[in-house]
Amino acid sequence: MDNLKQALPKAQKNPPPAPVVSSSSGSLPSASKLHAAFSGYFPTWCPGCGNFGIWTAIKSAFSKMKLNPDKMAVVFGIGCSGNMNDFLWANSFHALHGRAIPNAVGIKIANHSLPVIVIVGDGDCYGEGGNHFLHAARGNHDITVIVHDNRVYGLTTGQVAPTAYKGFKSRSTPNGIIEVPVNPIALAVSQGATFVGQGFSGDMAHLTQLLESAVKHRGFSVVNVFQPCVTFNHVNSYSWYRERVYKLAPENHNPEDINRAWEKSLEVEEKIPLGIIYQVERPVYTDSLPQLAEKPLVFSEPVTDLEMLINEFV
Amino acid sequence: MVESVSLAGITETPIVIVMGQRPGPATGMPTWTEQGDLLFILHSGHGEFPKILLAPGDMEEVYKLTLEAFNLADKYQTPVFIIVDKYIQEGHQSVDKSKISEFKYPVDRGKLLSQEDLLKISAYKRYLDSPDGISPRAIPGMENSLHQANSYEHLEDGHTTEDAGERSKQVEKRNRKAATYLKQDFQMPRIYGDDNAPLTLISWGSMKAPVLQAMKESASHKFNLLHFNRLWPLDREKLKLLLSGLKKTLLVENNSQGQLGQLLTMATGVEFDEKLLKFTGRPIYPEEIIAKVNSIT
Repeated sequence: MDNLKQALPKAQKNPPPAPVVSSSSGSLPSASKLHAAFSGYFPTWCPGCGNFGIWTAIKSAFSKMKLNPDKMAVVFGIGCSGNMNDFLWANSFHALHGRAIPNAVGIKIANHSLPVIVIVGDGDCYGEGGNHFLHAARGNHDITVIVHDNRVYGLTTGQVAPTAYKGFKSRSTPNGIIEVPVNPIALAVSQGATFVGQGFSGDMAHLTQLLESAVKHRGFSVVNVFQPCVTFNHVNSYSWYRERVYKLAPENHNPEDINRAWEKSLEVEEKIPLGIIYQVERPVYTDSLPQLAEKPLVFSEPVTDLEMLINEFV
Repeated sequence: MVESVSLAGITETPIVIVMGQRPGPATGMPTWTEQGDLLFILHSGHGEFPKILLAPGDMEEVYKLTLEAFNLADKYQTPVFIIVDKYIQEGHQSVDKSKISEFKYPVDRGKLLSQEDLLKISAYKRYLDSPDGISPRAIPGMENSLHQANSYEHLEDGHTTEDAGERSKQVEKRNRKAATYLKQDFQMPRIYGDDNAPLTLISWGSMKAPVLQAMKESASHKFNLLHFNRLWPLDREKLKLLLSGLKKTLLVENNSQGQLGQLLTMATGVEFDEKLLKFTGRPIYPEEIIAKVNSIT
């Protein structure tokens, strides 16, 4: 399998236009029209990879919201999902494994007028980046975290990841993983996230709408997106998910009720909820920084009045 | 911690890092002092990329070198370290206010592009190759600033690459920043006391004050002090000339392995005659310096 060669994209002189990828449950407007502003190189993901669906939904959501690639910041983690850095063209920072969130928090504090989107994988975000995830939720930092949840470490050829079900046999756990999976929904809700959603790369129309809501939400938004890894995870496939996912709607769910959110967070195997699981409003982190009331930090003047500092501190 | 030094090295993000040394290893003696991390800081962060190391010797130097550190970080778009220790951080020293308030040091953001500059560029490249190794830097949010800061090896426009030629181009560009520093910002260490003294004490950072105090107390012209407050990059030829011209040398360091000595030997080939190394968690006292000097002269 040539996955190692496919792992990183080759340099290309002229990025070709994005492919038209159609969704199975509803059609999207012509991809090339909507996505032109955000398109980069053609992806190196395996054919059938769940990342294609998420990539398309992200570009659709950004285009529908008329976001400007110049005036936003996208922070990528490391992984197959992180390789979207070359396939999505916007002001970006390609961070270290597990460190997308702290960089995003810093970027937001530096310029809180920019929409800040974080594109990470489950291993990246819930494993190495677990502590950053929970602390960013506590602070209600106004960033949107989109997690590609495929339950493996795909880029490094299939080791088990934090969201793998107990007993999953992988390259690193030939006899099945001992631990139970991390519960991202419960973790996010319990640590103070104010928008917690769940999506599926196999339903792009629904995902696009969900991502739009997540980015528009003022506060720490996390969307856990199920993404079949066709190469390394033959258990949690498209059909496996289609048998289990169902959509939350006002008729069957109230996202402002935390008790309903706890219930939904425990639905992890027989049936799996998609949509907005929890959404409340709370002041965002930068609301509590009076230094930023007038303008973003990056456009502020440096303090040069030494007398004032000496009088206060010396 | 060190992974972010490496990250700043390749994304070419200006950053100033204050390292407050305490005796290690690991938790060590957290409330005591040592100069044990020089080589660790020099080598911090995997991969090869330029770093600037400054080690102020007293309060006035802390103030002035910190101002300089920010300008250097912006100019070279690379990590700049200010190395201090408990002796400096917890010590008390009075400095004449005029030395601070009358010291004018303009803020220089280096090749930071303004909005007007950006509008004149057609396809902005964050990692544009250049003779001095430094690329023009845009801030996201400005119009026409579109770029990617990438922890992977990258092309000039920030896209990830594994191409051999493009990789070499970026490695050489980053390394070239050190050469530029040597041409434009390197300064020789300073000599305190009698130029012709028969013995030269060599120290760095906080071990400036104890040596100067010893010089004052012994009131002799037996020794002078060669003090380093800029530790890297080093001009090997100039330092080799200086060091090999000294009559007799005594390395004075608050650590057990003589790390500045190792660094200077690595850079110049010069070895040192005597060493005064203290690593009890306490700073070196002037009387210990005087006793050592007397024992070797």
